[in-house]
Amino acid sequence: MTMTMITDSTDIVTTIEDKAGLYRLLSWLSPAYPVGAFSYSHGIEYAVEAGLVRDRATLTDWIAGILRQGAGVSDGALLAAAWRAARTSDVVALCDLSALSAAWRGGSELALESAGQGRAFLAITRSAWPDPFLDELALAIGEAEIGYPVAFGLAAGRTGIPLHATLVGYFQAFAANLVSAAVRLIPLGQTDGQRCQRALLAEVLAIADQALAADPAEAGTAAPMVDWTSMRHETQYTRLFRS
Amino acid sequence: MSQMAISAGPGRAACDLPSPVAALQRCDGGVEAGFSGADGVTRLTHLFQRNPGRLLFPTVSPGLPPEAVLVTVAGGLTGGDRMSVRLEAKHAAVACVTTQAAEKIYRSDGVDTSVLVDLRVGAGTALEWMPQETILFDGARLRRETRISLAPGARLLAGEITIYGRTARGERFGGGLLFDRWRVQGPDRLLWYDATRLDGDIGAKMAHPAGYAGARASATLLCGGLPGQPALALSREWLAGRGDASLRLGCSLVNGLLVLRWLSADAARLRASFVEFWLQLRAARHLHSLLLPDTPPRVWNC
Repeated sequence: MTMTMITDSTDIVTTIEDKAGLYRLLSWLSPAYPVGAFSYSHGIEYAVEAGLVRDRATLTDWIAGILRQGAGVSDGALLAAAWRAARTSDVVALCDLSALSAAWRGGSELALESAGQGRAFLAITRSAWPDPFLDELALAIGEAEIGYPVAFGLAAGRTGIPLHATLVGYFQAFAANLVSAAVRLIPLGQTDGQRCQRALLAEVLAIADQALAADPAEAGTAAPMVDWTSMRHETQYTRLFRS
Repeated sequence: MSQMAISAGPGRAACDLPSPVAALQRCDGGVEAGFSGADGVTRLTHLFQRNPGRLLFPTVSPGLPPEAVLVTVAGGLTGGDRMSVRLEAKHAAVACVTTQAAEKIYRSDGVDTSVLVDLRVGAGTALEWMPQETILFDGARLRRETRISLAPGARLLAGEITIYGRTARGERFGGGLLFDRWRVQGPDRLLWYDATRLDGDIGAKMAHPAGYAGARASATLLCGGLPGQPALALSREWLAGRGDASLRLGCSLVNGLLVLRWLSADAARLRASFVEFWLQLRAARHLHSLLLPDTPPRVWNC
């Protein structure tokens, strides 16, 4: 891996020349990477129950809202900050970001969704893609929780995967996971699910661009309805998902 | 000079003159209060106030904890104004602090209004910080930060109601800024962080189904130091059967903190529901064993 590819550049196609970086990114974001993403719906299960998400159009709009006004904003800022802190091996900053990412959740299920995947991602990555720095950080964090965007940004930063590619990949996978949940919940045909995924391309690229320059201390969300669906999901009678 | 600039009128070039806006006096107010308890009685041990912040202490019935009422004597805050509220409870103190009226945040000329609330809730104390609603005029720019530090065994009830525009006259908060942060620090870790940011095309963000879905008022209530699961059960029981598409309610238990949220197009209905739960919680003596009034502070009824 060369230093030249470690860049904030928005031109991901040309900067991710490092094939090992691309390979890592695809592996870590694959639904086969066992972080348990499939078990979370980010409140969409209740949004479907409440009739707020009922077809392809309302689903696309709902996920776009999450990206633009909800987790897209907070997680993007956290991921980018963790990526930068990892580039300079700043353990103190990473511990602070880890604490912030664990506390910045609208409800207990959104906290579980992020911390469950964060912890699993860190554990699996330490075992399968060893890096002494990850061990050092896990030791510093101890029993505390680490949010998924911080764990992911940390690993990507350590291995020099370009930040913009990391963000685009992270939010592509996040959106795909929600589409997949909704396809089962609404239900929606697989092709319609993919049409929805395609329609979210611009949203994912926009939120990745925004996250490049985001400061977690200045970032904020405007998606109280998402928090509301997550809270109501806790007492939903029949549930397939943990969030 | 500023007189000339003001009278220059829209068609005249007043830009060569010093901005009348810059010449206006901005306020930097604040209050500090410390409460301490002994033999079951809570006393005020520290008080500092700086205009336009003023803290009043209405008489309460014997045996009840003190009530403090924050007054913004300027009648509201505008761009460039700053206000801070620092409250500390020590040694088994029990106190309730509220505000005299709704806090109005006026349209800004581009500068932010800053509000800082800093609550230090000591071991074995109980503090209620329950201000009345904040009304954001269209064009208001508010940066508000609520920092809370909870010692072991500290009980806290902290709330806020935000109203987006003078809804009674059909105004909407369509432009400006709301950057509202909460940071709750427990004895050994950060328990909760929340940051709301509304700027840019605020109308679109509030109309979005995953945003505010057209709501014009929101509220948050945080409750710390109660036994978590029973407090959650009480909230869920209270919530069941309440709320509909025009008044949305939710609750969750995050790191031992009970968090409740309200969202509504009807500010009055939201406020009534908020007060109803507040009193429900006060009455739940199996959760906190505090003797608190079964009515909100009198200023809430004006």
